[in-house]
Amino acid sequence: MKRRGKMFCTVYKWLISQAADSGKPVAGFVKNHTQRCDSCREFAQLCETLKAKFAQDKYAILKNYDESLSKKIISALPRERASISGRQRISRKSLARKRVLVPSLAAAFLVVAISVSIIFIAVHRSRDMGPFGHPSELVSAASPEILLVKAESPLETEYQELKKTLDTTTKFLRSYLDFHIGPQTD
Amino acid sequence: MNRNLTVKHLSDEELASRIAAGACSLFEELVSRYSARLFHFLRHRTETDQDIEDMVQETFLKAFRSIDRFNPEWKFSTWLYTIAGRSAISRHRSNKKMRSNPTAASSIPGPEEIVIQKQESQNLWEMANLLPEKEYEALWLHYAEDMSIKEIARVTKKKPVSVRVLLYRARLNLAKRIDQSAFSKKIAGTAPAKHKLSFL
Repeated sequence: MKRRGKMFCTVYKWLISQAADSGKPVAGFVKNHTQRCDSCREFAQLCETLKAKFAQDKYAILKNYDESLSKKIISALPRERASISGRQRISRKSLARKRVLVPSLAAAFLVVAISVSIIFIAVHRSRDMGPFGHPSELVSAASPEILLVKAESPLETEYQELKKTLDTTTKFLRSYLDFHIGPQTD
Repeated sequence: MNRNLTVKHLSDEELASRIAAGACSLFEELVSRYSARLFHFLRHRTETDQDIEDMVQETFLKAFRSIDRFNPEWKFSTWLYTIAGRSAISRHRSNKKMRSNPTAASSIPGPEEIVIQKQESQNLWEMANLLPEKEYEALWLHYAEDMSIKEIARVTKKKPVSVRVLLYRARLNLAKRIDQSAFSKKIAGTAPAKHKLSFL
């Protein structure tokens, strides 16, 4: 065998091994090589016979196997079954507990949500109300005496004061800076 | 009797589905089918037979606990061997010891053991057992369990190309060992050894 041929034997052996993996026959050029190369031919023969030989020898070694291990494992199974059923019992208990807990939690959440929304609405309304309160109150208190009392209240006085200050400020700025604020009157 | 016959005819996947449905007693059939095979698959992982037995037992108990998670679309053997491989890894991590030299474990053999060893050396699996761990496992899964490259890759958590390389190396090493064995027989004059592969 030439030296060059030996160099490629690794490749040919790899291809032979690939063919053994897939169960397909080797390619023609590999066959040609195996006819010339002893080492590759022996490797190809080995690969072809391995499957049958291994299958045959497998039964021989399994036959010698001591069955006590199987018995030992089988004897351990009832204990395992009991522990699994114990775990299942525990999970069933926790399921029942969940069934009680979930509706009560939902009810509590509903109560909290309703009370929070009531508080929120109440606070929001009181903020939105002007000096005369809710419109219904205005309607009910439409009598002139009550209106007079409300007009003399400190809040109303302060409001009037602020309005006057704003008017004078506007007049001053208009005369000083010579620009117009608000709609044109001239 | 009739029930036993029916059970024997059921495939592994059918048995697993029935066990998951509640027929736990059928698991015994799976144990008897696979315990020896798992024992030989895990031979490389530990030092003593006792450890292998423990690992086999652990594998079956794990499989029993999680049988409801088995997908019958897959092969049962692939699933079981995956569990075995993982258990062996976790056990190895906890023990932190591996069998370094498979032949050094036993003491000096007696005459009976020598006869048994001679008989065993005729067995190709015994010769394969002297190969590195990964190569032996790849050979076992491919030839003893008839698994495809993809299935072996799934069990061993490797890429299919790596499995192909493992099998290739295993075959090369096995060929070398057979050559050596034939050569030693020739030296001893116990075999004709006209051809290098007379072993086969």
